[in-house]
Amino acid sequence: MGTVHARSLDPMPMQGPELGVQADDIEAPGVQQEPKQEVLENKDVVVQQVHIDGLGRTKEDLLTYEIAEVFRAKNLIDVMRRSHEARQRLLRLGIFRKVEVIIDTARGEHALPNGLDVTFEVTELRRLTGSYNTMVGNNEGSMVLGLKLPNALGRAEKMTFQFSYGTKETSYGLSFFKPQPGHFERNFSINAYKVTGQFPWSSLRETDRGISTEISFPVWKTNQTLKWEGVWRELGCLANTASFAVREESGHSLKSSLSHAMVIDTRNSSILPKKGGLLKIHQELAGFTGGDACFLKEDFEIQLNKKLFWDSVLSASLWGGLLLPLGVEKTSIADRFYLGGPTSIRGFSMYSMGPQSDGDYLGGEAYWAGGLHLYTPLPFRPGRGGFGDLFRTHFFLNAGNLCNLNYGEGPQAHLKKLAECLRWSYGLGIVLRLGNIARLELNYCIPMGVQSGDRICDGVQFGAGIRFL
Amino acid sequence: MIRVNERVLLCLSLTAAEPWPENATLYQPLKGEGFFSSSCSLYHLQTYLRMCGLPVQVVCRPNAEYMSPSGKIPFIHVGNQVVSELGPIVQFSKAKGHSLSDGLDDVQRAEMKAYMELVNNMLLTAELFIQWCDETTVSQITRHRYGTPYSWPLNLILAYQKQWEVRRKMNAVGWGGKTVDQVYEDVSQCCQALSQRLGTQPYFFKIPTELDALVFGHLFTILTTQLTNTELLERVRSYSNLLSFCRRIEQTYFESKDS
Repeated sequence: MGTVHARSLDPMPMQGPELGVQADDIEAPGVQQEPKQEVLENKDVVVQQVHIDGLGRTKEDLLTYEIAEVFRAKNLIDVMRRSHEARQRLLRLGIFRKVEVIIDTARGEHALPNGLDVTFEVTELRRLTGSYNTMVGNNEGSMVLGLKLPNALGRAEKMTFQFSYGTKETSYGLSFFKPQPGHFERNFSINAYKVTGQFPWSSLRETDRGISTEISFPVWKTNQTLKWEGVWRELGCLANTASFAVREESGHSLKSSLSHAMVIDTRNSSILPKKGGLLKIHQELAGFTGGDACFLKEDFEIQLNKKLFWDSVLSASLWGGLLLPLGVEKTSIADRFYLGGPTSIRGFSMYSMGPQSDGDYLGGEAYWAGGLHLYTPLPFRPGRGGFGDLFRTHFFLNAGNLCNLNYGEGPQAHLKKLAECLRWSYGLGIVLRLGNIARLELNYCIPMGVQSGDRICDGVQFGAGIRFL
Repeated sequence: MIRVNERVLLCLSLTAAEPWPENATLYQPLKGEGFFSSSCSLYHLQTYLRMCGLPVQVVCRPNAEYMSPSGKIPFIHVGNQVVSELGPIVQFSKAKGHSLSDGLDDVQRAEMKAYMELVNNMLLTAELFIQWCDETTVSQITRHRYGTPYSWPLNLILAYQKQWEVRRKMNAVGWGGKTVDQVYEDVSQCCQALSQRLGTQPYFFKIPTELDALVFGHLFTILTTQLTNTELLERVRSYSNLLSFCRRIEQTYFESKDS
């Protein structure tokens, strides 16, 4: 009886679980069949033993959950399919650099004639991995150092530390991530961080020091996240010329909030999807568990994609949000919504619309924004099948509004307020996909419905980001 | 400090012609918060503005310290300008045509500045020392009062942060190793000097000046603030002419105007 090798694919570059392995990136393994070999395809087989070779720090009990399905295989095709799935599950843990699968006939005393042994040959990631990057942005250059313990305690726990030293600000973050053995989607994480941000559109500088814990778990087709966050926020003016309205917001505050997020994502890719939809609902209740900030924040995001003729895709998205102050205090400038810029309503400057004071944008308590895009391949399709596929041309139409609400007026008046003085823009441009996490856009925009006080960017606008309307 | 002065000079050239507006606002922290040194500067500034006859509305904000461009309280918001710290505010009001020391000659003005430096270096530092470096005062009064506007654990974090900051400042000016008794002695000496200069006059000079406002601000606060012990109070009380000086200013500028 010959040996059937289900040789694994080339080792895949491992990224954290959050980046994920895209299902459509992986092809089914080819099966090499040697001549003169007995046809096992339709014969019943029994998987007798599964070995995992190459384990060092990893605890075996974690892996038994991942490979358990292999034992249930009834025929050879099934064994190969399940082994392949088990391999994907092992790689998804983010603790192995390489996993190879070898399927062989069973040997030894108790070997059955139709018995098979499956061996996973794994190579663990190093105990400690590091990275070093430099970043430029927001009139600031910074150096980012990262340290990661990919398998800290032997059960796919991940510990990461990031330190960013900039010309103006220093930020750091420490996080610990633990998945439930056998259910990688059910996981728990703790974070501690200090982040400083400068927001020139508001002449504001914010330093956040906080801790958060969150649990994520899937329910039916959705992914749910529950989170508690405690943040000490320090607001200050970016310059002496800041408006008095921003100056009044300066100082310390403590936010303790419970939040819930629900995501249904059926898109085939998060950047430039061809089909599928996304629904994201996020709600945050602050003040209930202590702290000075008291508010309820609701936020949603919908995106639908439809494939049309000639590889073109029609994409429609809608965002909206509402912030309700729960105490006597007004909402803080740090909690309010901002709109405008190359990642939301194109043709306007970054976060430069809505309520403002002396040119400093103060954000709004309610907003909505909608976008309609037609993505097409580049004209004449240069670089087709390769580099050219990273690019798309798009025609867009964006609209939205951002305002403050007076809660004495009732919901009818609110809707009216959000519908009047509509800001909108249209134009066309080129989109470049960067990996599966970010995209760049170069657009020619024509802003319309500009209200007094809004800052516009009429003509060519460049944008980069990970979340796009 | 230099930058603030430049700003004031800029204001001076821009706004010299504009009169003092009606809606001038003085921002200060909530009553009791940062009780000692901040209420000194509050009384000083209010006395000064009242001596100049400049109307100002007082607004309490828990975050006043952070609203101020220099981090010092109180500060005033006049028109579209924000001026903090006593020196710049004096210059600012001078630019608006209100000054107290115009009637003095150069020698007297130099003398006034010298006494003001003395008060700032001795009394202000002593107050900060007692408030933040005397362990009983810190644990019984200061930390609690400073953290009042914030919720736990931010109240403790900010109070310890402030304490650390003040202690560093004390070490920098060479007060780090002093004991409370030495500080009381310093206050006594300073009061002695002021008492001798004042003598039997109603004010330090023939007219009310910035120095009167400053001395009143500090002494009045010491006399009216309750501390863990009365040692400091007793030391100041032993100078009877300073006591009557305080009462006089209080009557002239506060009681008559409030009624």
